[in-house]
Amino acid sequence: MSEKKYFPLSKENISALIVNGCHAQNWSKVSVPRDFDPARIRNCTFAGAVEIGKQSGDIVLIDGRRKVCGIYNSTLENVTVGENCFLSNVSVGLTNLIIESGVVIENAGEIACFGESTFGNGHAVTALNEGGGRELKICEKTSAQLAYLTIFYRDNKQLIDRLNYIADEFCAQIKNNRATIGCDTQIKNCQKIINVRIGKNAILDGVLSLKNGTIDSSVEAATFVGSGVIAENFIFQKGASVDEGALISSSLIGEACKVGKQASIENSVLFANSEAFHSELCSVFGGPYTVTHHRSTLLIAGYFSFFNAGSATNQSNHMYKLGPVHQGILERGCKTGSSSYLLWPARVGAFSVVLGKHYTSFDTTNFPFSYLSDEAGKSYIIPAMNYFTTGTFRDGFKWPVRDKRINKNKLDQINFEILSPYTAQKIINGREILMDLYESSEKGQPFVVLKGIHIKRLLLKSCARYYQLILDKYFGDLIIKRAERRNISSLTGLFTDAKNGANAADEFWVDICGMLCRKSRIDEFSSAVAAGKIQSLEQINAEIQKIYMAYEDDEWDWFLASYNKMYKCELFEEQSENILTFMEQWQKSSLKLLNMVTGDAKKEFEGPVKTGFGIDGNQEADFENVRGIFEENSFKIQLEKERELVNSQFENIAKLIAQG
Amino acid sequence: MATTLERVKNVTAELLKIDVATIKEDSRFVEDLGAESIQSIELVAAFDEEFDIEMDEDEALAVRNVSDAVTFIDRYIQG
Repeated sequence: MSEKKYFPLSKENISALIVNGCHAQNWSKVSVPRDFDPARIRNCTFAGAVEIGKQSGDIVLIDGRRKVCGIYNSTLENVTVGENCFLSNVSVGLTNLIIESGVVIENAGEIACFGESTFGNGHAVTALNEGGGRELKICEKTSAQLAYLTIFYRDNKQLIDRLNYIADEFCAQIKNNRATIGCDTQIKNCQKIINVRIGKNAILDGVLSLKNGTIDSSVEAATFVGSGVIAENFIFQKGASVDEGALISSSLIGEACKVGKQASIENSVLFANSEAFHSELCSVFGGPYTVTHHRSTLLIAGYFSFFNAGSATNQSNHMYKLGPVHQGILERGCKTGSSSYLLWPARVGAFSVVLGKHYTSFDTTNFPFSYLSDEAGKSYIIPAMNYFTTGTFRDGFKWPVRDKRINKNKLDQINFEILSPYTAQKIINGREILMDLYESSEKGQPFVVLKGIHIKRLLLKSCARYYQLILDKYFGDLIIKRAERRNISSLTGLFTDAKNGANAADEFWVDICGMLCRKSRIDEFSSAVAAGKIQSLEQINAEIQKIYMAYEDDEWDWFLASYNKMYKCELFEEQSENILTFMEQWQKSSLKLLNMVTGDAKKEFEGPVKTGFGIDGNQEADFENVRGIFEENSFKIQLEKERELVNSQFENIAKLIAQG
Repeated sequence: MATTLERVKNVTAELLKIDVATIKEDSRFVEDLGAESIQSIELVAAFDEEFDIEMDEDEALAVRNVSDAVTFIDRYIQG
């Protein structure tokens, strides 16, 4: 039995409170601890049941000011206040709340909970397809992976029914007629907060209006909601920052996301480390690192991840027929150029760059690392080219470093790899398709058309070669990675736990919104959910994390099986000289790729890029003083180090192979 | 029979849609002939096909002008 903490006010305390300018509808419903100090309650009005914890000492505000703990100039109705809070000037009032210890509320309008609420949990968001049919019931524990399965796997009705049921169960646990404001949260200059559950250590400063939502927050990953924000039916996950007049409706803002500069977000979900400034987002399924920074950009009815939107990027999901029912997919790592346009439906392969305007519904999923451009109203693709660009190479370094999530138990599972079985399978498919097209096309034929997109015939063979180059690099990388991570010093050691798994090569790999895995693992997971073996959001997240943890071994198994399939021999049965030749090819391909990326970077220091420099004087001197010289460029130096690394890794692996 | 230089000029003119007479030996593909980044890949592919060779990708993309392209291609033709 829990110890009773609150007791009715004594007559002396009531008298003291009245002297302090306080009023109550019914003083008998106001309860306090035994060592209550009435001097810390001034000019307050109480209605309904009000419990006030012990107020003592000072509290330091986030702006450094020190305040005497207590409740001043505020109206409280059906509120529990924890210990050592500073509540001051809440003009309309605090209604139906549980305010935990150490909370600061200063200069606010109305903070209240009316009726029973699930605080945004369970709100159905029409992400991806604005016309509906893929609704996601957002919850504070919704991960990118759970969202992916719920939004995309509509062919598995049992799974969807169970996932929705689990979300409903979670909401039933959350449902309350009082909203909690978590420990040490600070709320300042906010106008209206209705039916909002706020976690620990959150900071709300200058908010205009929040309705029906949850602000999840923790000691290590405080969530910030700033000036001018208007949000309704929302979930903000740990470490998110929503600021500067952002308008949010029916949306989830994931862990460590940043939203601001009047971004407008509706019926969308954005997962870890995404950023939205200025832009308009409508029915967007934004996986991790979905980034849009420009005012004139509209993202609508699309799935994105590791995405960067150029200014004035735009899509259409509406043909003025049956409503906004079209949807689009940009697989991980895509970028859209300034003023680019995509007519949905369309599917763009991973790590591709979209330039220009595209009016046909194409599917380039088997051509990752492509450039898509338009010419005379037709869409063209150059497969593989984007692998050799500075941008893709930099992204590979940038994303892991820019993971701003500092909370424990991260919700979203993220593989940062640019090359993985997921992209490699597509590269293998793409290479075969290109060679088939090359062999079946006529010399003199300017282009071929495949799934709505044009490919210049001249490029078919070259791009197939480029894809092979990438595969050679990736396969060698895997051997190097395995040897280094496991500190293996001999070939035998490398293959200790190798399996004869030819089937693994044909196992389809998927990108579950940032998490790369074998499809069969997702199938097993889905079956377990559908069968009721996984029963809560916590269990879902734990099971997904297990799949994430299996990546490295699954990738290795896939590689061994793929090697077998490609070279008709188990890698671990190869003669050591064959493995050495394989790694020599890896070294050659890796250096070649680095040379190509270097060449691409060098273009940023020569020729037309100097246009406009030295406006009334010396172009070279002006350029050099502003941009520096290529030889001293940090990225160029980084590429040099990569080159040295490749050579030293080759030496090490050659020694390992020599030891047998 | 056309020389390597003539063939390089013809391929370049056709791909970049410019008058072959405007192409000089010292013409730079990007600065002088207006080749865009994407077209450099196409040029390499077009030279591969014209001369029935497979040029080294990174070295080929590093070639900046017509004269260097001729020298580079001749290396492959002569084995």
